[in-house]
Amino acid sequence: MSEMWYTYWLACVEGITGDRKCELCRKNGSAEAVYYIEEKGIREQIITEKEWGILKESKKKRNWREAYQKAADRGIQMAVRGQNNYPKRFEELAGMPYALFFIGKMPQEGIPSVAVVGARRCSSYGEKMTLRFVERLAESGIQIISGMALGIDGMAHRAALNVGGKTFAVLGGGADVCYPAAHKGLYKDLIKRGGILSEQPPGTPPVAWHFPARNRLISGLADVVLVMEAKEKSGSLITADMALEQGRDIYALPGMVTEPLSCGCNRLIRQGAGILLNEEDLLEELVIKGLLKKKNAIISDTKNKIKLETKENLVYSKLGLYPRGLDDLQRETGLTPQEVMGICVSLQLKGYIQERSKNYYVRVK
Amino acid sequence: MGFYKVHSATILGLKVEFVQVEADAGNGLPMFHMVGYLSSEVKEAAERVRTAMRNTGYTMPAKKIVINLSPACVRKKGSVFDLPIAVAVLGAMGRFPEKAVEDILLAGELGLDGKLQPAEGILPIVLEAKRAGFRCCVIPKSNEDEGRLAQGIQIFGAETLEEVCRWLKGEYMPQMEKPDKEEAHGTEEWDIDYSDIQGQEAVKRATMVAVAGGHNLLYVGPPGSGKTMLAKRIPTILPPLDREESLEITGIYSTAGLLKRENPLIWQRPFREVHHTVTRAALIGGGRIPSPGEATLAHGGVLFLDELAEFPRGVLEVLRQPLEEKCIHLARQQGAYIFPADFMLVAATNPCPCGMAPGPQCTCTPGQIRNYQGKLSQPFLDRIDICMEAPKVEYEELTGKGTGMDSRGMREKVMLARMRQMERFQEEKLTKNAQMGQNEIEKYCRLGKEEERMMRQAYEVMNLTVRSYHKVLKVARTIADLEEKEEIDLAALREALGYRVMDKEYWG
Repeated sequence: MSEMWYTYWLACVEGITGDRKCELCRKNGSAEAVYYIEEKGIREQIITEKEWGILKESKKKRNWREAYQKAADRGIQMAVRGQNNYPKRFEELAGMPYALFFIGKMPQEGIPSVAVVGARRCSSYGEKMTLRFVERLAESGIQIISGMALGIDGMAHRAALNVGGKTFAVLGGGADVCYPAAHKGLYKDLIKRGGILSEQPPGTPPVAWHFPARNRLISGLADVVLVMEAKEKSGSLITADMALEQGRDIYALPGMVTEPLSCGCNRLIRQGAGILLNEEDLLEELVIKGLLKKKNAIISDTKNKIKLETKENLVYSKLGLYPRGLDDLQRETGLTPQEVMGICVSLQLKGYIQERSKNYYVRVK
Repeated sequence: MGFYKVHSATILGLKVEFVQVEADAGNGLPMFHMVGYLSSEVKEAAERVRTAMRNTGYTMPAKKIVINLSPACVRKKGSVFDLPIAVAVLGAMGRFPEKAVEDILLAGELGLDGKLQPAEGILPIVLEAKRAGFRCCVIPKSNEDEGRLAQGIQIFGAETLEEVCRWLKGEYMPQMEKPDKEEAHGTEEWDIDYSDIQGQEAVKRATMVAVAGGHNLLYVGPPGSGKTMLAKRIPTILPPLDREESLEITGIYSTAGLLKRENPLIWQRPFREVHHTVTRAALIGGGRIPSPGEATLAHGGVLFLDELAEFPRGVLEVLRQPLEEKCIHLARQQGAYIFPADFMLVAATNPCPCGMAPGPQCTCTPGQIRNYQGKLSQPFLDRIDICMEAPKVEYEELTGKGTGMDSRGMREKVMLARMRQMERFQEEKLTKNAQMGQNEIEKYCRLGKEEERMMRQAYEVMNLTVRSYHKVLKVARTIADLEEKEEIDLAALREALGYRVMDKEYWG
């Protein structure tokens, strides 16, 4: 392991493409060898002058051995191209990074993955549909990939976590930088039950121009990309473009033609994307494509039938996607305040509802 | 002609220090000289005394008069020295018998016409005088009711300097002992009651739980949801004050000059609402010789911080000591002062800048809401056990008749729960569930198998921290006490989980 920090250093170098870094490693044998390339390498045409300059500069920047140790201590791991944990799905693609940094786990090979992308300022329709599709997919054992942004992304991760599924976020900043900060709770859950991935060196702040590049990784990690809600010009459509280039199937959620948040999706459908009508269709298509084993697909909604006590059911039936307060619930159900609160807590523990703000609950299942 | 000595007292912080006022009239250039580490209001006494004496009919002799207030190392503050100085001067002029004032304590401010003006801090002075074995206290008439609260010491409520002089000469006998007026420490009566609040049963219940276990409380709710109303009524369900507590609180208010002249005894637990522009000094007490702040004025009652998010962090941090230790230590060059500050902390905040979150009427962006909630200091939230939403009042509730719990019923339950706690903690140094530390929690909050399983689940699903886990157990213990149950059951745990303070990172 002693030379891992050379790899860490090379992965952190900016200004050289992933493909070129791989070539350098291959030609020289290892990242360690690349680190010790001398100036005469330029004459021997092992390395260009510009690249040599970049490498030389980066070596001076900090003590890389220490930096690597620090990152490792904080649980940041690496998946380097050519090694086992590097995603197989990236191998056939061009322009993929030399290495990925990750906290938690990497997506598993041999298990279908679906990327879910969509608007940050989404509508409740988008949220609800995301919840519906993603929960079924996750229950069928499919890994959910998204970007941990507010709105659709966050909902997709939450939905997968709700049903105990695997889900992974690809960030635009370093894997150790929780962005947006509002998703700190989600971030922790993702580390526990899935993983946080990034090609940016640890500690990199999330800057705007990293995000389109990040989107190519989201689609690259997936077999199928679902676009839930997108405006005419949006990051989600960039992901869709990347996905097309990478040969991934795209599905879009149709919406009203007058609705700006559905314009992007409807346009994708016109261009030939798959239409998301219901979960069953989607799962069947995944089976046909050979991505999903038939026995794993939960086609009918039998497992999810709610098994609750009468009073719990009463309270549950009053909850929806908009947060509702204890007071409303108490008035509408006619139960005592303690009863309502007790039921809300136990529904919460059973994973049917969530507390969004103090004593305000939403349905999550 | 010669030397005369009179007893009086001053208040440092909340502590009474006896002061001897000595006067000497001797030969020399006629002058009136005062010494003894005096603050300016005491120095000004010279003019007041001289004029008051003349208007009472005594002329100042053409002598060198020296007044000394001893001990000289104690700073003399306040206006209670006018009367003792006047009496000492007159004594030095030979107007009174030698031993007339031997076991008498005098305190009071003089007007130029010789009338005695009301003074601050009379009750603590009289109480201390009684303890020190004085026979009688002479105080202004308007402070008489206050002084009589001490009981067991003769009180002469004098109206004028002349009255005092005549008494000392033996020409006049005032009524020193009056039958105790019943209403002076009368029954507790409130013009507010929890039955004034329509609906809101859930948050009333949460309030009752908080009071029963001595837990600090946070209300979250939109503007106009009655958070202040709820908080104001907390003293009506706190256990009634006993006489000793009542005297302690009255003493504090007397020192602060906040006492009513009629029926001065405070029998209501105090409720102090603090505005968010408050300074540190105003909150915990300040000054060279510190005077008590809001935290001390709330001693035995409720300290209410409205708009918690607007309070500057530094101001809230100073409350950490009173919350932990139930008193305030103020160190000054003159020495350290300790003020009592055993209050129940109640705070209120809006959920977001517009106050309507998470309802559909809320106009704030997620960023604004996060910023707003980010302003709440985490160490401060850590000291709050119960957090409850105060919902907006609906129309039907507004027009409905007063129903549900009233203060009387709530207080009865609170008292029962408090009694159970006292019994349980007989061998410990605590009296309330909220004071339990980790060891006591392990000892007194044992869970059954089912309960254990639920808490484990809650720990994971609700992302509890160790601290919030303990808080839930303490609150559950209180709920079980309210329900008169030996063991914490599932219902109590569920309710306690509903009251937990959410981690900020999961808010919004």
